[in-house]
Amino acid sequence: MNDGGIKRRDFLKVMGWGGASAALAGCGNASLESGAELVQSYVQPEDFVIPGIAVYYASTCTQCEAACAVHGRVREGRILKLEGSPASSINKGKICGLGQAAVQSHYNPDRLTRPQIRQGGKLADATWEQAMTLLAQKVGPASGLQGGEFALLSGAVSGHLKVLLQNYVDSLGSKNHFIYEALSPAVTHSANRKIYGVESPRLHIDKAKVILSFGADFLGSWVSPVHFSGQYAKFRKAPRGVLVQVEPKMTLTGANADRWIPARPGTEGMLALGIANLLLQDAAYAQKAPAAAAAIVKPYNKEVVSTATGVSIEQLDKLVKLLKERSPSLVLSGPSAEGHAHGFQTAAAIALLNVILGNVGKTIDAPAALPFPQIAPQGGSYAGLRDFNDGLAKGQYKAVFVHGANPVFTAPGFMGVRENLGKAAFKVVFADAIDETAAMADLVLPLDSALEGWGTHVAHYQPAGTELGIQQPLMEKLHADTRTMGDIVLDLLKQRQPEQYKQWPDYYAYLKTSVVQAKNAFGQAATEDEVFWREALSAGVLNVAAPAQAAPLAAASVGVSLPAPEAANAQYPFHLVPSVRHSFRDGRHANLPWMQESPDALTTVVWDSWAEIHPKTAARLGVKEGDYLEIASDKGAIKVKAYVFPGIHPDAISVPVGQGHEELGRYAKGVGVNPFKILSPVFDKDTGELAMYATRVKVSRTGQHEKMVKDEGDSHGKQAGTKIVATLPSDKVNLAREV
Amino acid sequence: MHRLTALLFFAVLGIFGVPSAYATDPTTIVEQPIEFPHDRHAGDMGINCMYCHTYARRSIVSGIPPLAKCMGCHQNIESVKDKPRIKKLFEYWEKKQAIPWKKVHDLPDFVRFNHERHIQRFYFEQEKPVQEVCGYCHGDVKTMTVAQQVKPLTMGWCKSCHQQDHQVTKGSKETTNGPSDCWVCHK
Repeated sequence: MNDGGIKRRDFLKVMGWGGASAALAGCGNASLESGAELVQSYVQPEDFVIPGIAVYYASTCTQCEAACAVHGRVREGRILKLEGSPASSINKGKICGLGQAAVQSHYNPDRLTRPQIRQGGKLADATWEQAMTLLAQKVGPASGLQGGEFALLSGAVSGHLKVLLQNYVDSLGSKNHFIYEALSPAVTHSANRKIYGVESPRLHIDKAKVILSFGADFLGSWVSPVHFSGQYAKFRKAPRGVLVQVEPKMTLTGANADRWIPARPGTEGMLALGIANLLLQDAAYAQKAPAAAAAIVKPYNKEVVSTATGVSIEQLDKLVKLLKERSPSLVLSGPSAEGHAHGFQTAAAIALLNVILGNVGKTIDAPAALPFPQIAPQGGSYAGLRDFNDGLAKGQYKAVFVHGANPVFTAPGFMGVRENLGKAAFKVVFADAIDETAAMADLVLPLDSALEGWGTHVAHYQPAGTELGIQQPLMEKLHADTRTMGDIVLDLLKQRQPEQYKQWPDYYAYLKTSVVQAKNAFGQAATEDEVFWREALSAGVLNVAAPAQAAPLAAASVGVSLPAPEAANAQYPFHLVPSVRHSFRDGRHANLPWMQESPDALTTVVWDSWAEIHPKTAARLGVKEGDYLEIASDKGAIKVKAYVFPGIHPDAISVPVGQGHEELGRYAKGVGVNPFKILSPVFDKDTGELAMYATRVKVSRTGQHEKMVKDEGDSHGKQAGTKIVATLPSDKVNLAREV
Repeated sequence: MHRLTALLFFAVLGIFGVPSAYATDPTTIVEQPIEFPHDRHAGDMGINCMYCHTYARRSIVSGIPPLAKCMGCHQNIESVKDKPRIKKLFEYWEKKQAIPWKKVHDLPDFVRFNHERHIQRFYFEQEKPVQEVCGYCHGDVKTMTVAQQVKPLTMGWCKSCHQQDHQVTKGSKETTNGPSDCWVCHK
C-alpha cells in the first residue's frame, strides 16, 4: 500500500459503487415515486375491462388508400398500438410504419379540438352550436344558395361517407363535387380502363417469374404496398423471381431490384416499345400479338431506342432475353413513367408489352365486381382540382367545402389556388389539424381521428373478391368537441331533408342499418341481424359473397403514339423528379414525428428535405453534400441541401414531396421545402392530368452550406470501411452470368 | 491517503451527497382524497385483500377497486352513512366521478412487476394466507388507514426473496426460486 496519493486503481474501485449510485439517482426516475402519480381508477367499468390486460378491437387503417385491416390494442380505455389484422386479404396481418403512426395522428398535440370561426380576420374558438347556426345561415335552405354557387372539394372517397357526401351535394341542387388527389392515379386508371377495361386490374406479383417495373414503387408508396410486399416475398422464394426497375431516381423498390436502369426521363415508353420491337422479331410472339402492334413498334429499333433512352443495346438485348426465358412476366407502369405530357401513351406502351408477353390473364387479371356502385371507390385526379380552381377563379362559388385535401399546400404555384380560394365568400374546411387550406377558411370544423370514429371503406385495389372494411372507434373521443365527418354530413342533410334522414340519430345508426340491410350480399342471409353486426365488428372486414364473375381481361387494341424525345433544354437542363415518400405521401403526414424521425430508405435523411444529385453532376457543378442549391423552374424556385447519390439519372435532380409546410403543427411547420410549388404547367395530352415529372429546372449553388442530418452519419454511405455490403468492380464479375 | 479513508469518504458522499435510492423513510405519508381505513376493512372485518383488489390474481396490476365496489356494500350500511368520509364517497358516486387515488407503490418505469405470477405462486399454489402474501411487499396493511410504503421495493430487496428456494406448491418436495434473468423484470 503506497503512502503517496490515492492510486488510480483504488480510486476507480471505490468510485465504482459510489459513482454508480450517483449516476442512478441522477437520472431522476430511479427512485420509487410514492405519491407522484395517480393510479387508474374507475367508477363502474364493464366486466371485460381489467387494468393491465389489453382488449383488441378491429378497424380499418385510413393512412393511405390501401385500406388495410388493423387490430387496435386498447388498455384502460386508451388505444396504444395498431397491428395488422389477418382478416383482410389486402394486408394479411401486416401493417406498415405509416399505419403504426396513426396513433400519433390521434394523440397529436396540434390536433384541432374546437370549431374555429373567422372573426376580425383571425380564426377563433367557437361552439358547435355557433358553427351549425353559421352553416344554416350560409348553406341551409333559408340561405337561398343556388346549386351552381356551391362546391365541395374532397379527397378520394368510398363507402358510406361517399353516399352521404354525394347526397348532400345533390340536396343543394349542385353538381360540383370535385375529387382531387395530389398524387393522382388518374393516368393509371385511365390507361387501365382503356386497355384492360377496368381501373384496377389484379396483379399477381407472386406468380411472375420476372417483373419489369417502370417506376412503380410497389414496395414503397404505390397502390397497396403492404399487399405487394407480401406477394414480393413469395416472388423471391425459389425459383427466385427477377426484378428489373426502370426509373429516373431510385425508389425503395428500385433498391431491391436485381437490375436498376435509369433511362432518360420521359423515354420510358420508347424503351417499352423497343423491347416490344425485339420481342416481335421472334415468330412465337409476332403470331399472337395484336394486329396493330407490328406497325406501332416498327420505328423503335434498338439503335433508335438506345440513343434516345441512354440504355445500351447490350442491356436491351439482356432484358428481352430475360423476358423470353422467364414466363409469365409482369410489366408495371408507375408515376415517374406516366408523369409526362405523353404519360397516357407511355402507360399504353407498357400495357402493350404485357399483351405481347402473354401476361394478360396470367399475372394481370380482372378484379371481382362490386355489387354496390354507390359505395365503390372513386379516385381523385388533378382535373378535379383544376375544375374547382377554374370555378373559384371566375368567382362562381359563394360557398365551398374542403375535406380530405389540402390544395393550398399541394397545388402547383402556377394555379394560384390561394388567391382563387380567397374569392369564395364562405369557406368551410373539415380537418383534424389546421393545415394551409384550413388557415384560410371562414369556418373550420374539428374532426375525430380515424381511431375515434365510424366508417366504411372499399379499397381501390382489391386483391381477392371484394372487401368492405369497417372502421370503428378504438376508444372514446379524446377531445369532447370533435366529430366524425359522417355525423356532420348527416346533420347537414337533416338541415336540408329532415324527413328523409330523421330516422337515423347518428352516423353509427345509419351505417349499421345500411350494412345490416345488405347482409345477404355478404352471404349472411340466415344470420340474425345483431349477431351479424357484432361478428362484422369483431372481424372488421366483410367479404362480398361469390362476387359476380367479371369478364376476363381482354386487352383492347390501343394505338400508341409517342413523341420524339425531348430536345435538350439549355435554360433548364435538369429534369425535376418530385419523389414520393411512403411515410409522407402528399404531405398530410408531415406532422407525425415518427415519420419525420424515420430515415428515408435511400438517403437516411431525417427531419428535412434534400436534393438528390448524381456524383458526376455534383463534381461538374462543384457541389458537395450539404451545399444549398437553388432549384428553379419557369414557375418558381426552392433552396434545398444537396445529397450526392448515385441512384439517380445524371440529368435529373430529385426533391421529395411532402415537406415545406407553413402550417400543420409543430412537427411539420418550417421543416424542409415544398417542390409542389414549382411544378410547370405541363399536362398529359390524353387525360389533361398534371405531368408531375415533366418539370425542367436549372440548378445553381447558393454558396450556403449546412451539415446534412442523416442516420448514415459521416460515412457518406461508404460504410466506414466495414464492407457490410460489398461491391465489386464490373471487370471482376462475369457479367454474362448476371441479370 | 489510505484506501480506507477514501472508502469512508465516498461512502459518506454516497449516503448524504446524492439523493437516496431507498425510500424506506416512513415519514413520507401519501395523502389520499379520502383517508380510506384499511384497518376497519382488512383488520376489523377481515375482508380478503382480493375482494377489492380483484385484479391481482389475473393481471400485472392488482387494481384499485372501482367506485361501484365500494357502493356495493356502503349503499346498504346505514350505521356509517353520515360519517364524513362516507359522505365524500357518495359525493363522488353522485357525480359518477372516479376518485383520484394516488399511487403509493410506484416502481420506476423500467421495472415490470407482475402481480399475477406472485399471487398465483404464493396464494393459490402455496396456499399461504392472503395477508401474509400481500403483506410481504405491502406491509401490515391491516394496521394502516391509507396504504403506505414500508418496504424498500428496491431491486436488491426483490432479489433477496428471488434468491431463496421455496416449495413449488404447498407440501411439495420440489423447490424453485424466483427468476434472476435481467430480461424477466426489465423486458
